[in-house]
Amino acid sequence: MVPSTTQVSTHVGTGASIAAPRSELSPASASMRTTLWNLVSLACALSLWQLAAALVGSPFFPPPLKIVDAFLQLATRGDTFGNSLLTHAWASIERVLVGFGFGVLLAVPMGLLMGLYPNIYAGTRAVVEPFRFIPPIAWIPLAIIFFTGLTRFAFLIFLGAFFPVFTSTLVGVARVEPIHRKVGIVHGASKYWTLRHVVVPTVLPDIMAGMRVGLGTAWLTIVAAELAGGISTGLGRMMTNYAELLQVPQVIVGMLLIGLIGFLMNEVLLLIEKRLFRWRWQVRL
Amino acid sequence: MHGPEQLGNRPKVEVDASHHYGDLVVYKHLKFAIAANEFICICGPSGCGKTTLLDMLAGILRPSEGAVLIDGQPADPKQQSVSFVFQEPSTFPWLNVRDNVATGLRIKGIRGSEMAEKVRDIVEMVGLTGFESYYPHQISGGMKQRVAIARAFVTDADLILMDEPFVSLDQPTRERMQNEVLDIWRHRRRTVVFVTHNLEEAIFLGDRILFLSAKPARILAELPIALPRPRDPVSPGFMAVRSQCMRWLHAPTGRQMARPGAQEKLDLTENQ
Repeated sequence: MVPSTTQVSTHVGTGASIAAPRSELSPASASMRTTLWNLVSLACALSLWQLAAALVGSPFFPPPLKIVDAFLQLATRGDTFGNSLLTHAWASIERVLVGFGFGVLLAVPMGLLMGLYPNIYAGTRAVVEPFRFIPPIAWIPLAIIFFTGLTRFAFLIFLGAFFPVFTSTLVGVARVEPIHRKVGIVHGASKYWTLRHVVVPTVLPDIMAGMRVGLGTAWLTIVAAELAGGISTGLGRMMTNYAELLQVPQVIVGMLLIGLIGFLMNEVLLLIEKRLFRWRWQVRL
Repeated sequence: MHGPEQLGNRPKVEVDASHHYGDLVVYKHLKFAIAANEFICICGPSGCGKTTLLDMLAGILRPSEGAVLIDGQPADPKQQSVSFVFQEPSTFPWLNVRDNVATGLRIKGIRGSEMAEKVRDIVEMVGLTGFESYYPHQISGGMKQRVAIARAFVTDADLILMDEPFVSLDQPTRERMQNEVLDIWRHRRRTVVFVTHNLEEAIFLGDRILFLSAKPARILAELPIALPRPRDPVSPGFMAVRSQCMRWLHAPTGRQMARPGAQEKLDLTENQ
């Protein structure tokens, strides 16, 4: 063979190309701006409400200040039965947390199991899926017969929270990249390793999304269940009481509180997501 | 066969296998061996089953008949230490560069300062120092592939399988990566099986090239590359090997079909 006379290498040596992360506004000032905008839109909404109330001038259309009044009164002196606002709110929150907690605890393993073993899902679909289409509210009559107290509400909320989490987990498993599984396997990973380090990280965003939907369903269900009666506490109960007395401000306090608590719970989930999913890129159009 | 006997010790890899998916015969009596520390390139037309071959070498896929032996034992990822660099992006998007590189070590139970040290060394070798805490979406495609290469070479895996790892990279990056792989291979003495359909890449990298036919695939020819390293793709010697290969592969028409069962031993370099 003929060795080349000149060994001029055209291959350039190592040099790391620079990839800069996205940077526009600093995160701190960006979040300040978001907060500011939210305050402004809140102020606008309140002003419009005040204006509309002044124009209508009816006791059934109270202005925001009346609501604040009702809120303070409910918070300090309690309702007509002496139950404070905190008691009502906590009763509802407790029911939601217990039901939602059990819902997630059962939905995630079941979603993973049926996602990883499609045969189990295919073989039990006829049993599992129809339940998804029975709204939790349709279970209220049965729940009233079968259960009392916390169990009744926890059961209803469990039904409301289970399916969104279960379905998104199931869908998420299908998103697991075969190549990621293969990376583990060629290194000799066990099935448990693959589950823990490939399947769960892939599915987690879907689980969290399902949890957010499930939380919405849970709140929807708790109020409906409390409206159905049979108990003395809970925000839904409190609202029904005041609606029967035609006291609109107190009813609105209940509504706003439900919205606020749901919003805060969602914020907590979002915060967890943000911490958990720092690895995700942001989609922009 | 060339290689193992020449080096005088037992082959690292011995393949004598057939494989089919249902009626589709992918390999019929595929037989070859790879010596320890050899850099072997496998070339073949698209769809000839190169990935199937790598899966068999990795022990992910059991051949329908025959066996794939690594160090005399049937290939099994839980027994032997094998690494794989895939054609498609295979970094875990939820792990940063450091943790991605450490994946194989973690599976093998290597942790703590030993792991940190190994990761630091290899990250430096592939030129990713400073990017350890970046997530895959924050770095370029070429860097991601370097992460995958680092992940493959950081373990003590003495058999490294590479499935067209540079196919998605642009030419300059590809050339740089080829040199990096050769560098790591020289430093760490590993057996590398490198699949590519790029002839030039195969000649640049390999100690030996195996040419596969279309399905059912068998080895059409093997070509030892005796060019000294570092190789220069524009040197006369390199060009000569390349053009002879091209001539052999393309003409006369139907040659590959015309001589079924024949396994040619090319020694083009002798004809210069």
